[in-house]
Amino acid sequence: MAAQKSYSLPSFMNSDSSLPWLLPLITMLIVFAIIPFFYNIYLSFHEFVPAKRALLFVGWDNWIRLFTDGVFWGSLKVSLYYTFMCLLIQLVLGMGIALLIDSDDPGFGIIRSILTLTLVIPPAIAGMIFLIMEDANYGLIPWLLKSVGLIGPEDTILADPTLALWGVMIVDIWQWTPFMVLILVAGLRSLPSEPFESAVIDGARPFQVFRRLTLPMLHKVIAVAILIRGIDLWRMVDYVFVLTSGGPGTATYTLSLYSWQRFTFVQWGYGATISLFSLIVILIVGNAFIHFAKVKW
Amino acid sequence: MIRKILAFSIALIFIFPIFFLITSSFKNNIDLFSLPPKLFIFDFDFSAYERVFGFSKLLKFDPSYGELYLTSRILDSLIVGIGSSSLTLIIGIYAGYYISRANFKYKNFLIMSILSARMMPLISIAIPIYFVYEKINLLDTYIGLILIHTFINLPLAVLLLKSFFDEVPKQIDENAFIDGASKIKILHELIIPCAKGGIAVTFILSIIFSWTEFICALMIGQMKIKTIPIQASIMKTIPSWDMMAAFTTISIIPVFIMILVVRKHFVRGLTLGTVKE
Repeated sequence: MAAQKSYSLPSFMNSDSSLPWLLPLITMLIVFAIIPFFYNIYLSFHEFVPAKRALLFVGWDNWIRLFTDGVFWGSLKVSLYYTFMCLLIQLVLGMGIALLIDSDDPGFGIIRSILTLTLVIPPAIAGMIFLIMEDANYGLIPWLLKSVGLIGPEDTILADPTLALWGVMIVDIWQWTPFMVLILVAGLRSLPSEPFESAVIDGARPFQVFRRLTLPMLHKVIAVAILIRGIDLWRMVDYVFVLTSGGPGTATYTLSLYSWQRFTFVQWGYGATISLFSLIVILIVGNAFIHFAKVKW
Repeated sequence: MIRKILAFSIALIFIFPIFFLITSSFKNNIDLFSLPPKLFIFDFDFSAYERVFGFSKLLKFDPSYGELYLTSRILDSLIVGIGSSSLTLIIGIYAGYYISRANFKYKNFLIMSILSARMMPLISIAIPIYFVYEKINLLDTYIGLILIHTFINLPLAVLLLKSFFDEVPKQIDENAFIDGASKIKILHELIIPCAKGGIAVTFILSIIFSWTEFICALMIGQMKIKTIPIQASIMKTIPSWDMMAAFTTISIIPVFIMILVVRKHFVRGLTLGTVKE
């Protein structure tokens, strides 16, 4: 044993202690998750005061301001609306397309490869593509909508307070519906075929088969897809940053974007308070979801 | 047959914006703005690419970068992507293997912590880390951005590698352990070769997610370091559209190639190792 020891690693690596194996990971978690968490708490009780050029203790001011700030409530509403609507649309569309392309035919394999491509485009660049396509004067989408009469000749998408959010959501739906499709297809492909065959023999209608068999059997896959997509939707900032920068007015501020914008306005404490709020919400909701949907790793 | 036609038309809708971007990069400024859009027939024009690569004096903001202003952005993204993915892999292999094999008291708690780290809104990491980096002079450095991207990719890497290690039979470790090999040696000489494919997939996915990350790269990189998405987001104004299209086309093609290589494991990566294809 001692003779064949070709490694000159420090002896603690051979010990039974878990520490050496996990130490780098735990260090990263402490430095980039625990420290920022407490630093955010610290910042939320401080604010940069321009007159004194210093970060001063302000007590609960940031939190009081948070709950009385109309823009914050607006951005919370936008974040919630954005998360739920995109999740719903992507799930329903994704399930439809997944059922459509769930087949052994190699042609459908090519479609799955094509759908992979949208997912690896940097979201900021996806936003830029749609910025060109949604431009009020030269854009393809307004031109199409105008020619079929869905919007008036003077209307714009991204400068319109009611349409702007949909102008952002369309990018998310375009880019991430394939996420749902690929995950659900993978789930569908892994289902055993016997229950479905016997259901067809028993004369079950396709919708019944879907409700009684497919959905319950896919429960775990759907839960994981909702969890991961939900997290990313909640913290989304790239699209609004590129497409509208929160505008027109404050119509498309999400929590993350509002937090970033306050930070750039040197309201460091308030920016940190908004991001801390958003963090606490997702930690509670996310962990509760994992618990109740019984997602296992 | 109808099913196939329907499926292909849906695929066409999804690929259309990519097609639109790539063709836009070859259009001159008249075709680019024409409505109805010239989708297939237009004059091929490479001037946007010439400006991205060779570079005229037009966009030379920073003299220290000279002619290679835009290509240096791609270099920035490559350095950060490869650097952070390598670091992620080193940390992830040891942690993933240990979590896969060992039963320890706080295992579930650790996995929940890793998942919670995946949930953090990136802005809530970026603001405090900005101040920490400011104090220790890591703002606008490669190492600073590499470290934060490593953290962002760690949950994916650890959980994905764990799922790949889970597939390597435990019998291999046990036999080798009885023969007197040390754990670290078992990992290096037996398990890593068995899980080569999984490690490669993790590496590529980490590069991709570092390549696409936006808000941390925006806040940590400032003057010297701008990754591709940041550079693209600056080129918003109409006169630079064709160049933006050329620049982003160049920067997404390598990612497309990478992802088609690991396509089979992509779903597994997206779901942090839980759903296998």
